[in-house]
Amino acid sequence: MIADRSDNKNALTSGSLDPASSPRAAFLAGVRACGALIMGVIPFAMVCGAAAAAAGFDFHQSFGMSWLVFAGSSQIVATQLYSGGAPAWVVVATGVVVNLRFMMYSAALAPHLRDVTPLQRWLAAYLLTDQAFAVTVARAAEGRAGTTWFYFGIAGALWAFWQAATIAGIILGTLIPASWSLDFVVALTFISVMAPVMKDHSMAVAALCGGVASVLLDLPLKLNLIAAAFIGIASGMITRALWTPRFKSGE
Amino acid sequence: MIVALGVGTFATRLSFLALFARNEPPRRVRRALQYVPPAVLAAIIAPLLFTRPPVESLTPDAARTAAAIVAFLVAWVTRSTLLTIVVGMLVLWGARALVA
Repeated sequence: MIADRSDNKNALTSGSLDPASSPRAAFLAGVRACGALIMGVIPFAMVCGAAAAAAGFDFHQSFGMSWLVFAGSSQIVATQLYSGGAPAWVVVATGVVVNLRFMMYSAALAPHLRDVTPLQRWLAAYLLTDQAFAVTVARAAEGRAGTTWFYFGIAGALWAFWQAATIAGIILGTLIPASWSLDFVVALTFISVMAPVMKDHSMAVAALCGGVASVLLDLPLKLNLIAAAFIGIASGMITRALWTPRFKSGE
Repeated sequence: MIVALGVGTFATRLSFLALFARNEPPRRVRRALQYVPPAVLAAIIAPLLFTRPPVESLTPDAARTAAAIVAFLVAWVTRSTLLTIVVGMLVLWGARALVA
Protein backbone atom coordinates (compact mmCIF):
# COMPACT_ATOMS: atom_id res chain seq x y z
CA MET A 1 0.00 0.00 0.00
CA ILE A 2 2.54 2.51 -1.09
CA ALA A 3 0.75 5.49 -2.50
CA ASP A 4 3.56 6.97 -4.50
CA ARG A 5 6.83 5.33 -5.34
CA SER A 6 8.25 7.65 -7.90
CA ASP A 7 11.67 6.06 -7.62
CA ASN A 8 10.29 2.88 -9.10
CA LYS A 9 8.63 4.33 -12.15
CA ASN A 10 11.72 4.62 -14.31
CA ALA A 11 13.04 1.23 -13.34
CA LEU A 12 9.69 -0.28 -14.19
CA THR A 13 9.28 1.17 -17.61
CA SER A 14 12.87 1.06 -18.84
CA GLY A 15 12.75 -2.69 -19.43
CA SER A 16 10.15 -2.40 -22.18
CA LEU A 17 11.03 0.36 -24.57
CA ASP A 18 8.84 -0.95 -27.35
CA PRO A 19 5.31 0.39 -27.08
CA ALA A 20 3.55 -2.44 -25.31
CA SER A 21 0.48 -2.22 -27.44
CA SER A 22 -0.39 -5.90 -27.75
CA PRO A 23 -2.29 -7.24 -24.75
CA ARG A 24 0.28 -9.96 -24.22
CA ALA A 25 3.24 -7.56 -24.21
CA ALA A 26 1.43 -5.16 -21.89
CA PHE A 27 0.48 -7.98 -19.53
CA LEU A 28 4.07 -9.23 -19.37
CA ALA A 29 5.35 -5.69 -18.81
CA GLY A 30 2.97 -5.53 -15.85
CA VAL A 31 4.25 -8.80 -14.43
CA ARG A 32 7.84 -7.57 -14.77
CA ALA A 33 6.93 -4.26 -13.12
CA CYS A 34 5.78 -6.23 -10.11
CA GLY A 35 9.39 -7.26 -9.50
CA ALA A 36 10.30 -3.84 -8.15
CA LEU A 37 7.51 -4.02 -5.58
CA ILE A 38 7.76 -7.51 -4.14
CA MET A 39 10.44 -6.67 -1.59
CA GLY A 40 7.84 -4.50 0.11
CA VAL A 41 4.89 -6.80 -0.46
CA ILE A 42 6.41 -10.03 0.81
CA PRO A 43 7.28 -8.87 4.36
CA PHE A 44 3.88 -7.16 4.67
CA ALA A 45 2.00 -10.28 3.59
CA MET A 46 4.07 -12.44 5.93
CA VAL A 47 3.26 -10.11 8.82
CA CYS A 48 -0.44 -10.36 7.96
CA GLY A 49 -0.33 -14.13 7.86
CA ALA A 50 1.64 -14.31 11.12
CA ALA A 51 -0.71 -11.83 12.84
CA ALA A 52 -3.79 -13.83 11.84
CA ALA A 53 -2.22 -17.06 13.08
CA ALA A 54 -1.15 -15.39 16.34
CA ALA A 55 -4.70 -14.10 16.90
CA GLY A 56 -5.97 -17.67 16.93
CA PHE A 57 -7.33 -18.01 13.41
CA ASP A 58 -6.67 -21.45 11.97
CA PHE A 59 -4.93 -21.91 8.64
CA HIS A 60 -8.15 -21.88 6.59
CA GLN A 61 -9.46 -18.75 8.29
CA SER A 62 -6.12 -16.93 7.95
CA PHE A 63 -5.66 -17.86 4.32
CA GLY A 64 -9.36 -17.32 3.58
CA MET A 65 -9.11 -13.79 4.94
CA SER A 66 -6.17 -13.09 2.68
CA TRP A 67 -8.27 -14.25 -0.31
CA LEU A 68 -11.51 -12.55 0.63
CA VAL A 69 -10.18 -9.28 1.99
CA PHE A 70 -6.79 -9.02 0.25
CA ALA A 71 -5.93 -5.74 1.96
CA GLY A 72 -3.10 -5.96 4.48
CA SER A 73 -3.70 -2.99 6.75
CA SER A 74 -7.38 -3.82 7.27
CA GLN A 75 -6.54 -7.50 7.81
CA ILE A 76 -4.10 -6.57 10.58
CA VAL A 77 -6.50 -4.12 12.17
CA ALA A 78 -9.32 -6.67 12.03
CA THR A 79 -7.10 -9.32 13.58
CA GLN A 80 -6.04 -7.02 16.40
CA LEU A 81 -9.60 -5.92 17.15
CA TYR A 82 -10.85 -9.49 17.02
CA SER A 83 -8.24 -10.75 19.46
CA GLY A 84 -8.96 -7.69 21.65
CA GLY A 85 -12.57 -8.84 21.96
CA ALA A 86 -14.27 -6.17 19.82
CA PRO A 87 -17.77 -6.98 18.52
CA ALA A 88 -17.90 -8.29 14.96
CA TRP A 89 -19.63 -5.19 13.56
CA VAL A 90 -16.87 -2.96 14.93
CA VAL A 91 -14.23 -5.21 13.38
CA VAL A 92 -15.97 -5.02 10.00
CA ALA A 93 -16.70 -1.26 10.18
CA THR A 94 -13.14 -0.41 11.18
CA GLY A 95 -11.71 -2.60 8.42
CA VAL A 96 -13.90 -0.87 5.85
CA VAL A 97 -12.90 2.59 7.11
CA VAL A 98 -9.24 1.59 6.76
CA ASN A 99 -10.04 0.61 3.16
CA LEU A 100 -11.96 3.74 2.22
CA ARG A 101 -8.93 4.87 0.25
CA PHE A 102 -9.82 2.25 -2.38
CA MET A 103 -12.77 4.46 -3.35
CA MET A 104 -10.25 7.14 -4.28
CA TYR A 105 -8.19 4.66 -6.34
CA SER A 106 -11.32 3.22 -7.90
CA ALA A 107 -12.37 6.65 -9.13
CA ALA A 108 -8.90 7.45 -10.46
CA LEU A 109 -8.52 4.10 -12.22
CA ALA A 110 -11.97 4.06 -13.85
CA PRO A 111 -11.08 6.36 -16.79
CA HIS A 112 -8.20 4.03 -17.70
CA LEU A 113 -10.40 0.94 -17.81
CA ARG A 114 -13.14 2.11 -20.13
CA ASP A 115 -12.96 -0.72 -22.66
CA VAL A 116 -13.30 -3.76 -20.46
CA THR A 117 -16.09 -6.29 -20.05
CA PRO A 118 -18.14 -6.22 -16.84
CA LEU A 119 -16.42 -9.41 -15.67
CA GLN A 120 -12.98 -7.86 -16.21
CA ARG A 121 -14.15 -4.76 -14.37
CA TRP A 122 -15.07 -6.82 -11.31
CA LEU A 123 -11.79 -8.70 -11.50
CA ALA A 124 -9.93 -5.39 -11.76
CA ALA A 125 -11.75 -4.20 -8.64
CA TYR A 126 -10.90 -7.35 -6.69
CA LEU A 127 -7.20 -6.99 -7.57
CA LEU A 128 -7.02 -3.28 -6.72
CA THR A 129 -4.15 -2.49 -4.33
CA ASP A 130 -2.13 0.59 -3.44
CA GLN A 131 0.89 -0.58 -5.39
CA ALA A 132 -0.85 -1.80 -8.54
CA PHE A 133 -2.85 1.42 -8.61
CA ALA A 134 0.13 3.73 -8.12
CA VAL A 135 2.32 2.11 -10.76
CA THR A 136 -0.46 1.69 -13.35
CA VAL A 137 -1.68 5.27 -13.10
CA ALA A 138 1.88 6.62 -13.19
CA ARG A 139 2.55 4.60 -16.34
CA ALA A 140 -0.67 5.73 -17.99
CA ALA A 141 0.23 9.34 -17.18
CA GLU A 142 3.32 8.90 -19.36
CA GLY A 143 0.96 8.20 -22.24
CA ARG A 144 1.93 4.56 -22.68
CA ALA A 145 -0.48 2.16 -24.34
CA GLY A 146 -1.97 -1.05 -23.01
CA THR A 147 -3.00 0.23 -19.58
CA THR A 148 -5.70 -2.40 -19.06
CA TRP A 149 -3.47 -5.41 -19.63
CA PHE A 150 -0.53 -3.84 -17.86
CA TYR A 151 -2.81 -3.42 -14.86
CA PHE A 152 -3.95 -7.05 -14.95
CA GLY A 153 -0.29 -8.12 -15.22
CA ILE A 154 0.99 -6.19 -12.24
CA ALA A 155 -2.13 -6.61 -10.09
CA GLY A 156 -2.34 -10.34 -10.78
CA ALA A 157 1.36 -10.92 -10.09
CA LEU A 158 1.11 -8.93 -6.83
CA TRP A 159 -1.87 -11.03 -5.82
CA ALA A 160 0.06 -14.27 -6.40
CA PHE A 161 3.10 -13.10 -4.41
CA TRP A 162 0.80 -11.83 -1.66
CA GLN A 163 -0.93 -15.19 -1.25
CA ALA A 164 2.33 -17.16 -1.32
CA ALA A 165 3.95 -14.89 1.28
CA THR A 166 0.83 -15.05 3.44
CA ILE A 167 1.12 -18.83 3.63
CA ALA A 168 4.78 -18.47 4.63
CA GLY A 169 3.76 -15.98 7.33
CA ILE A 170 1.01 -18.23 8.72
CA ILE A 171 3.43 -21.15 9.01
CA LEU A 172 6.57 -19.30 10.17
CA GLY A 173 4.83 -16.71 12.35
CA THR A 174 4.01 -19.10 15.16
CA LEU A 175 7.60 -20.37 15.36
CA ILE A 176 9.12 -17.02 16.35
CA PRO A 177 9.50 -16.30 20.10
CA ALA A 178 7.57 -13.34 21.54
CA SER A 179 10.74 -11.81 23.01
CA TRP A 180 11.75 -10.73 19.52
CA SER A 181 8.85 -8.22 19.56
CA LEU A 182 7.95 -9.07 16.00
CA ASP A 183 4.59 -7.39 16.56
CA PHE A 184 6.56 -4.19 16.09
CA VAL A 185 7.06 -5.15 12.44
CA VAL A 186 3.39 -4.20 12.01
CA ALA A 187 4.11 -0.66 13.18
CA LEU A 188 7.20 -0.48 10.96
CA THR A 189 5.27 -1.70 7.93
CA PHE A 190 2.67 1.00 8.42
CA ILE A 191 5.37 3.63 8.97
CA SER A 192 6.93 2.68 5.65
CA VAL A 193 3.54 3.08 4.00
CA MET A 194 2.72 6.35 5.74
CA ALA A 195 5.98 8.28 5.23
CA PRO A 196 5.68 8.71 1.45
CA VAL A 197 2.05 9.94 1.70
CA MET A 198 3.02 12.89 3.89
CA LYS A 199 3.24 15.40 1.10
CA ASP A 200 2.14 18.59 2.83
CA HIS A 201 1.30 20.07 6.21
CA SER A 202 -2.39 19.13 6.07
CA MET A 203 -1.41 15.46 5.64
CA ALA A 204 0.93 15.78 8.63
CA VAL A 205 -1.84 17.37 10.72
CA ALA A 206 -4.24 14.59 9.71
CA ALA A 207 -1.67 12.01 10.82
CA LEU A 208 -0.84 13.82 14.06
CA CYS A 209 -4.47 14.27 15.08
CA GLY A 210 -5.38 10.73 14.07
CA GLY A 211 -2.47 9.35 16.09
CA VAL A 212 -3.07 11.45 19.20
CA ALA A 213 -6.81 10.78 19.13
CA SER A 214 -6.22 7.07 18.78
CA VAL A 215 -4.06 7.04 21.95
CA LEU A 216 -6.15 9.39 24.07
CA LEU A 217 -9.67 8.32 23.16
CA ASP A 218 -11.12 5.68 25.37
CA LEU A 219 -14.35 4.66 23.69
CA PRO A 220 -16.45 1.59 24.40
CA LEU A 221 -16.52 -1.32 21.95
CA LYS A 222 -13.05 -0.44 20.58
CA LEU A 223 -14.51 2.30 18.44
CA ASN A 224 -11.33 4.36 19.01
CA LEU A 225 -9.80 3.69 15.64
CA ILE A 226 -12.87 4.73 13.63
CA ALA A 227 -13.29 7.88 15.70
CA ALA A 228 -9.56 8.68 15.45
CA ALA A 229 -9.67 8.18 11.68
CA PHE A 230 -12.52 10.64 11.26
CA ILE A 231 -10.88 13.15 13.62
CA GLY A 232 -7.68 12.88 11.55
CA ILE A 233 -9.54 13.29 8.25
CA ALA A 234 -11.48 16.30 9.55
CA SER A 235 -8.32 17.93 10.94
CA GLY A 236 -6.57 17.53 7.61
CA MET A 237 -9.47 19.08 5.72
CA ILE A 238 -9.79 21.97 8.18
CA THR A 239 -6.05 22.66 8.01
CA ARG A 240 -6.20 22.70 4.26
CA ALA A 241 -9.22 25.00 4.21
CA LEU A 242 -7.58 27.45 6.62
CA TRP A 243 -4.17 27.36 4.97
CA THR A 244 -5.04 27.59 1.29
CA PRO A 245 -5.11 31.21 0.14
CA ARG A 246 -8.64 31.97 -0.96
CA PHE A 247 -9.86 34.11 -3.81
CA LYS A 248 -11.42 37.25 -2.46
CA SER A 249 -14.27 37.00 -4.90
CA GLY A 250 -16.81 38.62 -2.61
CA GLU A 251 -14.83 41.80 -2.18
CA MET B 1 -17.07 -11.64 10.07
CA ILE B 2 -14.25 -12.29 7.61
CA VAL B 3 -16.76 -12.61 4.75
CA ALA B 4 -18.47 -9.34 5.75
CA LEU B 5 -15.12 -7.56 5.80
CA GLY B 6 -14.32 -9.05 2.41
CA VAL B 7 -17.61 -7.87 0.94
CA GLY B 8 -17.20 -4.38 2.46
CA THR B 9 -13.67 -4.08 1.13
CA PHE B 10 -14.72 -5.27 -2.32
CA ALA B 11 -17.46 -2.62 -2.32
CA THR B 12 -14.92 0.18 -1.75
CA ARG B 13 -12.85 -1.15 -4.65
CA LEU B 14 -15.79 -1.62 -6.94
CA SER B 15 -17.35 1.73 -6.04
CA PHE B 16 -16.30 4.01 -8.86
CA LEU B 17 -15.13 1.23 -11.17
CA ALA B 18 -18.59 -0.27 -11.53
CA LEU B 19 -21.23 0.75 -8.98
CA PHE B 20 -21.21 4.49 -9.66
CA ALA B 21 -19.09 4.30 -12.79
CA ARG B 22 -21.12 7.01 -14.47
CA ASN B 23 -20.37 9.58 -11.81
CA GLU B 24 -17.19 11.28 -10.81
CA PRO B 25 -16.84 11.51 -7.04
CA PRO B 26 -17.76 14.94 -5.68
CA ARG B 27 -14.73 17.13 -4.96
CA ARG B 28 -15.36 17.23 -1.26
CA VAL B 29 -15.48 13.43 -1.07
CA ARG B 30 -12.28 13.14 -3.08
CA ARG B 31 -10.56 15.60 -0.78
CA ALA B 32 -11.71 13.74 2.33
CA LEU B 33 -10.51 10.42 0.92
CA GLN B 34 -7.01 11.88 0.49
CA TYR B 35 -6.69 12.12 4.24
CA VAL B 36 -7.75 8.53 4.90
CA PRO B 37 -4.23 7.03 4.58
CA PRO B 38 -2.35 9.41 6.93
CA ALA B 39 -5.17 9.58 9.50
CA VAL B 40 -5.84 5.85 9.59
CA LEU B 41 -2.21 4.74 9.51
CA ALA B 42 -1.19 7.15 12.28
CA ALA B 43 -4.16 5.97 14.34
CA ILE B 44 -2.96 2.38 13.96
CA ILE B 45 0.71 3.14 14.65
CA ALA B 46 0.39 5.48 17.65
CA PRO B 47 -0.93 2.95 20.21
CA LEU B 48 1.84 0.53 19.21
CA LEU B 49 4.43 2.99 20.56
CA PHE B 50 3.11 2.69 24.09
CA THR B 51 3.76 0.02 26.65
CA ARG B 52 1.88 -3.05 25.59
CA PRO B 53 -0.68 -4.79 27.73
CA PRO B 54 -0.90 -6.18 30.43
CA VAL B 55 0.30 -2.74 31.60
CA GLU B 56 -2.45 -0.87 29.75
CA SER B 57 -1.49 2.70 30.60
CA LEU B 58 -0.26 5.82 28.88
CA THR B 59 3.43 5.02 29.27
CA PRO B 60 5.38 5.68 26.12
CA ASP B 61 7.80 2.89 25.36
CA ALA B 62 11.11 4.66 24.76
CA ALA B 63 12.66 1.89 22.68
CA ARG B 64 9.61 1.57 20.44
CA THR B 65 9.28 5.34 20.03
CA ALA B 66 12.97 5.76 19.16
CA ALA B 67 12.78 2.90 16.68
CA ALA B 68 9.63 4.39 15.13
CA ILE B 69 11.24 7.80 14.66
CA VAL B 70 14.35 6.32 13.04
CA ALA B 71 12.14 4.06 10.89
CA PHE B 72 10.07 7.03 9.75
CA LEU B 73 13.22 8.83 8.61
CA VAL B 74 14.43 5.71 6.80
CA ALA B 75 11.04 5.30 5.13
CA TRP B 76 10.94 8.96 4.20
CA VAL B 77 14.38 8.88 2.57
CA THR B 78 14.55 5.40 1.04
CA ARG B 79 10.85 4.56 0.52
CA SER B 80 11.87 0.95 1.09
CA THR B 81 9.57 -1.23 3.19
CA LEU B 82 12.23 -3.87 3.74
CA LEU B 83 14.91 -1.37 4.83
CA THR B 84 12.42 0.34 7.15
CA ILE B 85 11.59 -2.95 8.85
CA VAL B 86 15.22 -4.07 9.14
CA VAL B 87 16.53 -0.76 10.52
CA GLY B 88 13.51 -0.32 12.81
CA MET B 89 13.91 -3.77 14.36
CA LEU B 90 17.66 -3.30 14.81
CA VAL B 91 17.09 0.01 16.62
CA LEU B 92 14.41 -1.58 18.81
CA TRP B 93 16.62 -4.52 19.80
CA GLY B 94 19.64 -2.22 20.21
CA ALA B 95 17.71 0.15 22.50
CA ARG B 96 16.39 -2.79 24.56
CA ALA B 97 19.94 -4.17 24.90
CA LEU B 98 21.25 -0.79 26.05
CA VAL B 99 18.58 -0.42 28.72
CA ALA B 100 18.93 -3.97 30.01
